[in-house]
Amino acid sequence: MVMPSELEIMKRLKSLPPWLMLSPAIVVLAAIVGWPLINLVIMSTQKYGRAQVFGAPPEFVGLDNFAFILQDDKFWGVFNRSIAFAAVNVIATMVLGTIVALAMFQMQKAWRLLVQAGLLVAWAMPQLTAVIVWGWMFNTEYGVINFALSEFLGLDYLGHSWFSEPLSFFAVATIIITWQSVPFVAFTLYAGLTQIPNEVREAAMIDGANSVQRFRNLIVPYLRPVFAIVITLQIIWDLRVFTQIYALQGLGGLREETNTLGVYIYQVSLGSGNYGMGGAISLVMVVLMSTFAFYYVRRTLREVE
Amino acid sequence: MRKTSKKIGLALFAVVIFVLSVFPVYWMVNTSFTPNGLTRRPTPSFFPTEFTWENFATVLFDEEQTPFIPALQNSLAITGVTVTFALAFAFLSAVALARFRFLGRKTFLIIILGVQMIPGEAMIISIYRLIDDANLLNSILGLSIVYIATVLPFTIWMLRGFVAGVPIELEEAAMVDGCTKQQAFRRVTLPLLAPGLVATGVFGFIQAWNEFLLALVINARPEMMTLPVWLRTYQQVTNETDWAAIMAGSVLMTIPVLIFFIIVQGRMTSGLVAGAVKG
Amino acid sequence: MRKGSLAVIAASALVLSGCAAAESTPEASSTATSGGDTTEVITGDIRVWVNGGDTPQEARDYLKATFEEMHPGSTLTIEQQDWGGLVEKLTTTMSGNDSPDVVEIGNTWAPGFTAALAFTDLTPYYGELGGDDLLKGFVEVGSYDGSFYAAPYYSGARLVFYSKEDYAAVGVSVPTTLEEYVSNAEALSAATGNSGVYFPGKDWYNALPYIWETGGDVAVASGGTWDAQLSSPASLEGLALVKRAMDTSLAAKDGDEAESWVAYCTGKHSMLSAPSWAGGLLVPREDAPCERSAEDLGVFALPGIDGGAAQVFAGGSNIAIPKNSANQELALSALKIMLSPEYQTIMGNAGLVPALTSLGSTLGDGEVPQAVAAVAANAKLTPASPNWADVEAAGILQDLFVKIATGDDIATAAAAADEAIEELLNR
Repeated sequence: MVMPSELEIMKRLKSLPPWLMLSPAIVVLAAIVGWPLINLVIMSTQKYGRAQVFGAPPEFVGLDNFAFILQDDKFWGVFNRSIAFAAVNVIATMVLGTIVALAMFQMQKAWRLLVQAGLLVAWAMPQLTAVIVWGWMFNTEYGVINFALSEFLGLDYLGHSWFSEPLSFFAVATIIITWQSVPFVAFTLYAGLTQIPNEVREAAMIDGANSVQRFRNLIVPYLRPVFAIVITLQIIWDLRVFTQIYALQGLGGLREETNTLGVYIYQVSLGSGNYGMGGAISLVMVVLMSTFAFYYVRRTLREVE
Repeated sequence: MRKTSKKIGLALFAVVIFVLSVFPVYWMVNTSFTPNGLTRRPTPSFFPTEFTWENFATVLFDEEQTPFIPALQNSLAITGVTVTFALAFAFLSAVALARFRFLGRKTFLIIILGVQMIPGEAMIISIYRLIDDANLLNSILGLSIVYIATVLPFTIWMLRGFVAGVPIELEEAAMVDGCTKQQAFRRVTLPLLAPGLVATGVFGFIQAWNEFLLALVINARPEMMTLPVWLRTYQQVTNETDWAAIMAGSVLMTIPVLIFFIIVQGRMTSGLVAGAVKG
Repeated sequence: MRKGSLAVIAASALVLSGCAAAESTPEASSTATSGGDTTEVITGDIRVWVNGGDTPQEARDYLKATFEEMHPGSTLTIEQQDWGGLVEKLTTTMSGNDSPDVVEIGNTWAPGFTAALAFTDLTPYYGELGGDDLLKGFVEVGSYDGSFYAAPYYSGARLVFYSKEDYAAVGVSVPTTLEEYVSNAEALSAATGNSGVYFPGKDWYNALPYIWETGGDVAVASGGTWDAQLSSPASLEGLALVKRAMDTSLAAKDGDEAESWVAYCTGKHSMLSAPSWAGGLLVPREDAPCERSAEDLGVFALPGIDGGAAQVFAGGSNIAIPKNSANQELALSALKIMLSPEYQTIMGNAGLVPALTSLGSTLGDGEVPQAVAAVAANAKLTPASPNWADVEAAGILQDLFVKIATGDDIATAAAAADEAIEELLNR
């Protein structure tokens, strides 16, 4: 017969090791993320500028920053642009990644290895390097893309600037980001496909009248969890994109027309020195992303039960 | 008949994907071996007809510009420290989250997921002041700690999935055979987790190696730069007139990552297989 | 802040501290006292930040040698910074313990930082540094609330360089009015197929004189607020002239004016407006071939709308000592060297207008210096608002001129720029 007090002690002891194991991570996260985050929230309610960085006391303005943002045309422009950009990228990446994964799944080994090698190389490229190399390929005067389009397709693209029009600027950005993201999606989906039990696989692969439908009905349910992870990750990463846009803006384009949320926050905070406003925008962005990730978060939590 | 045409179709598709994936890398290498004067011509050459090593020499040995080797050392050191400790901490956390039931577990998970959505750009000045107060600016340790924090949420999330993917029944079976709980874990679960650890390590490596903004701000001194900052500085300093040298620098920066990938790629794909459906 | 750093230290206690590189400790001056009385020899290793390639090598060598001779046991390192992303970098590094000791600040950014009290007050040293001999406009821009924070460093004047051959071939002569200048450009580009004038889209420095000459401006202060003027009728007139000039240019519509001499040397542009010291770069040099010969190079001051010299943009920089520098005395010593007649003479000889107006003659005789002298007197600065640095960081003027270059409606673009500028300046 266990006394209630002993049960309680057991329970508490059982809780102890986990928290001990979590402690290194908690310490680091609290220091590097927690503290600055608290600062961020406080700053977003203040008029915090460059003078404050150098010691002047900040002025508390409550929700003024948020109010300003929500009626600021520039913010909404950046906001809409970021959503559109993320949407295009996520769709492109997912569609291409799925097609590649499915193709890899049905290929013979030699060809599959070729594709894997190619994808690995694209994935390994550091982001900044990728932007620089692609930027060089799209260079206005000496880029190989302009040359190829003019030479091989007869279009007059010599000296064409890809960065001055926002639409083509984002087209280049999409190409770069999709090129680097597809490998991850393709590999993960392919891995998911290989997990499917053999009988199901074989049943789906039989050629015949309803092969496409059979394929869809049998395979897709297995892929759904993988899809969920990958899409959520892509959405978060594509909304938060910074390095690529920042580096591309250095190569050309109007910042006013090519700012996405990440670069915009950077400019408002460090460029203009308006840290209070930058903080407020960040918080708005977190709320936004939470709504997107909400479904997946709930799923994960339920699974964890 | 249809089967052969399908095979041919798939093979062609494979080639197309391969070319599209690899072409930029090829172009980077091609330009890096071309003398710079020749790169600034309206007609680019698809093969380095005038092969030269001079660009690499410029990047590696030119005294005037910021040198490459220290940046390489910094990146290696920082990435090494980051991946080692992030994996260790994340592993501990993942086991705790996957194998124990305790108060606050769900909260912790929500926090882990939520943190990944915070745009870090506005926090830069706070992080800078924090590291400055701790006297860790322009050091290997300072930036590593920041990177560990940046990388932890995702790695904990990934590893938790892997650990959860190893059924606890296996451990229990081992314990029935006479092992203690720790022994069971070490002998049965750990080996099964190896691919997952590798896959997570690779993600951590990529993130730490590639990171740009934090490195730019925290390790601003020329001798403590990491490779991405080095490349950007080099690009700015040559004012985009010496593209061949910039490409050579890019090549040098990509090689270590490629080597790392080649070494681990076998383990990594099996790790992805193990973890993919678990999430 | 302390709570936060405690956590970091706790975290680092778990990590081998041997990983820290030796350079992690910030540089501080060490003092060696002799016998406990007032003579202290202060040593330290100081860092001087110069921006871009403007400061000539001779000046840098002079600075380092002189400083280290005056302060045995100390070193001076010159770190060249790139203009891109520099405002952000200055804000972060000057705010903490890792601050450099002397910084060069673009004159248009000076108000932003002086108003934030980022610099050490130099008012007590005003006389020593040159007093009334210092460039007036720059002293104004480097002062705030009655105190003097950022001293002038050098000024630049932009001149028009042109190909005498192209001029002769097309039959135009050196323009005496702004209108003639623009029509020369149009004639040149029509006849030769080259650019009349090399005018990249982001080149706002060279576009502003047009607005000033037609009587417009970027923004004026009226009773405590800033009123942006780019869409005023006078400014619009100037912008129309800008458009005409840009239309004759083959330069990238979204390119910037960096290293414009490289473009000029391709031989595809007949005229180029560049800082005065660029003259030496527009001729064939040992390590840089040039399609234009030295004899071909001509120069004149941008003509005003009614003759004489136009009001051109006064490029140039100030220098200051960050408040958080750990080596205040040594930094001040370096600053004094940089404003010494010897140092400023080197600057003048290199074509940079010295901070000390009495040294104007160091620019030399000849076409270029005479042109410089003509424009330096008429040079104008951007609005002296503390928030002007933000306008530059946001690229508003660059965006405006790129829009004009790519053919957008001028009035709409100007109105948009005005709105953006007013929003930032009046914050």
